[in-house]
Amino acid sequence: MGKEHNVCIIDDDEAIREALRLLLFADGLNGVAFESAEHFLAEGTETFFDCMLLDIRMPGIDGLELFQEINRQALPYPVIFITGHGDIPLAVSAIKQGAFDFLTKPFEDGELLAKVRHAIAHYAAECEERRRLHQIQARIDACTPREKDVLRLMTRGLTNKSIAETLDISPRTVEIHRAHVMEKMEAESLPALVRMVASAEQG
Amino acid sequence: MDPLDALMKAAVDAIIIIDHAGTVKRFNPAAERMFGYTEAEITGRNVSLLMPDHHREQHDGYIQRYLQTGQAAIIGKGREEMGRRREGDLFPMALSVGRIEGEGTPYFVGIIKDLTDYQAAKAQVRQLEEQLLHADRLVILGELTAGIAHEINQPLTAIAAYADAGRKMVSQTSGAHSDELQTVCARISEQSRRAGEVVQRLRRLVRSGAVAKGRHDLNQIVTNTLLLFEYELKRTNITLEFKPMKSLDPLYVDEIQVQQILVNLVKNSLDALLESGREDGRILIDVSTRGQQVMISVTDNGPGVPEALQARLFDSFFTTKPKGVGLGLSICKNIAGAHGGNLVYRPAENGGSRFILSLPLEMIG
Repeated sequence: MGKEHNVCIIDDDEAIREALRLLLFADGLNGVAFESAEHFLAEGTETFFDCMLLDIRMPGIDGLELFQEINRQALPYPVIFITGHGDIPLAVSAIKQGAFDFLTKPFEDGELLAKVRHAIAHYAAECEERRRLHQIQARIDACTPREKDVLRLMTRGLTNKSIAETLDISPRTVEIHRAHVMEKMEAESLPALVRMVASAEQG
Repeated sequence: MDPLDALMKAAVDAIIIIDHAGTVKRFNPAAERMFGYTEAEITGRNVSLLMPDHHREQHDGYIQRYLQTGQAAIIGKGREEMGRRREGDLFPMALSVGRIEGEGTPYFVGIIKDLTDYQAAKAQVRQLEEQLLHADRLVILGELTAGIAHEINQPLTAIAAYADAGRKMVSQTSGAHSDELQTVCARISEQSRRAGEVVQRLRRLVRSGAVAKGRHDLNQIVTNTLLLFEYELKRTNITLEFKPMKSLDPLYVDEIQVQQILVNLVKNSLDALLESGREDGRILIDVSTRGQQVMISVTDNGPGVPEALQARLFDSFFTTKPKGVGLGLSICKNIAGAHGGNLVYRPAENGGSRFILSLPLEMIG
C-alpha cells in the first residue's frame, strides 16, 4: 500500500467523526479527526495531510469560513466538503472558491472512499508535477547567463549558425555551450528540452 | 324649509319612512342614490320592493305581527340585511328601524348604510390574514422539517459509514460467516440510506411552498399589514404610528413574507406593551434608507428586551412567551436573510425595543 495517507476530518458530530475514521481505516487510510474548526486551527495546521473532509455546517467557525482561512494560510491539500441536502447552494459556492469536491450526507456506498482516493491521487499528481517543475527550474538556474541565452535561442528552433550570429560568438563556442546546456538540463534530445522549458514556462 | 325636509336632504345615510302597511311615505336623496329609485317613483309603493325576494313576501307579516304582539325583531335595534337595488342586484346594508309615534297608526323610519365597500375591505383583510397564516404555517413547517431532517441525517450518516467500515473490515478477514456479515453490513447501510431518502422527500415536499418575489411598494405593504391590527388596537390604549417614506422605489420582495415579518414585530410590541400595562403605549414604524438598504424600524416604548436575552432573541425555539413556540423571530431573520437583508435588535433610547429590518433597495436582474 506504500506510504500511509493522512486524511483530516473536521466535523462537530462525534459519531460521524468516528465512523469516518473507521471507514478510512478499513481502506488503509489514516484519519485524523478534529471536533471544530477552532481545534484544527489550534493543533492541525502544521500537520501534513493528503486530503481534508470538512463539515460545512458547524457551530462557531463554519466549514466555509475555515476553508477561506485554509486558503489564506495557503495550506495546499484538497478539501472535500461534507454537506446536507439543504446545503447545495453552500456547496456550490465552496466549489467556486476552489474546494476539490463535496459529499452529501448520507453518503452513497463507496462514494466517500472513491472521492477521497481521487483527491489523494490528484493531489499526489499535482505535487509530482510541482516537484518536476521545480527541478526543471533548478536546472535552468544552474546554467550560466551565456548558456541561458543559448538555451532560449535553441528552444526557439534556431540553428547553431543563427545562434552564433545572434549572440555574436563563434559557432564552435555555441556548440560547447549547447553541450553544457543539454547536460545540465538532463535532456536526451532537443524536443525533450523544448517540452521541458515550455512546461516550466507555463507552470 | 321644513326641518324634516332639511334633515332628509342633508343625511348621508338613506332614510325611508313607511306607514304600518309598509307603504313608502318618504325617500331621501341618499336613498335615491343607494337604491336607484326616485322618491316620486317609490312613494306609495310597498317597501318590500327594496328587499330580496325571500324577505319581500314576509315583510308585511313582520309589521302586522309587531303591531299585534309588540314583539320586535328589528324595530328599535339595527342589524345587517341585504338590500335590493332597482337593477335587481343585492347589496349588504346596515339597517336600523325606529318607530315614529303619532296620532293613529305608527310610522316607521329606516336608516340605512351601504356596507358594500366596508365588507369588501373586511374580506380583503380576512384574505390577507389567511394568506399570512398559511405562509406562517408553511414557514414553520419548513423550518421544523429542515431541523428534523438535519438531526436525523447526522446519525443516519454515521450508521451508513459504520456499516461500510464494518463490511470492509469483514471482507479483509476470512473468519466464519464473513460473507454473511458483509451482507448484514450492506443491508444496514442500504436501509439507513433509505431512511435518509424518506426524510429528504418530506423536506422537498415542504419546500415547494417557495418564495414568490415581485416588485412591491414598501409603504403599501406596511399600510396593508397595519390593517390587520386595527381591531386589536381599538380595544387598547396603544397607538400605532407609521411614517412612510416618500418617493421610495418599489422593492423586489415576497410581499407575504415581508408582511409576515412586520406582523411578528408589531405583534411582539403589542404583547410587550399589553403585558407592561402602560397607559401610553406607542408603536412607531418608520422607513428610511441607508446606502443601498432600506431600513424599516419598529420601535415601542415598552420594557425592551433584557440585555441577557438579547443574544438569544433570534434563536430557534427560544421564547419568553408562555404560549410561544420560539420560531417567530428566527423565521423573520431567515426571511430577511433570504431577501439579502437582515433583522437586528437595537434597544431604543427610551428603553423600549427596536427591531430594524433592512432590505436591499435594488436587485436588478
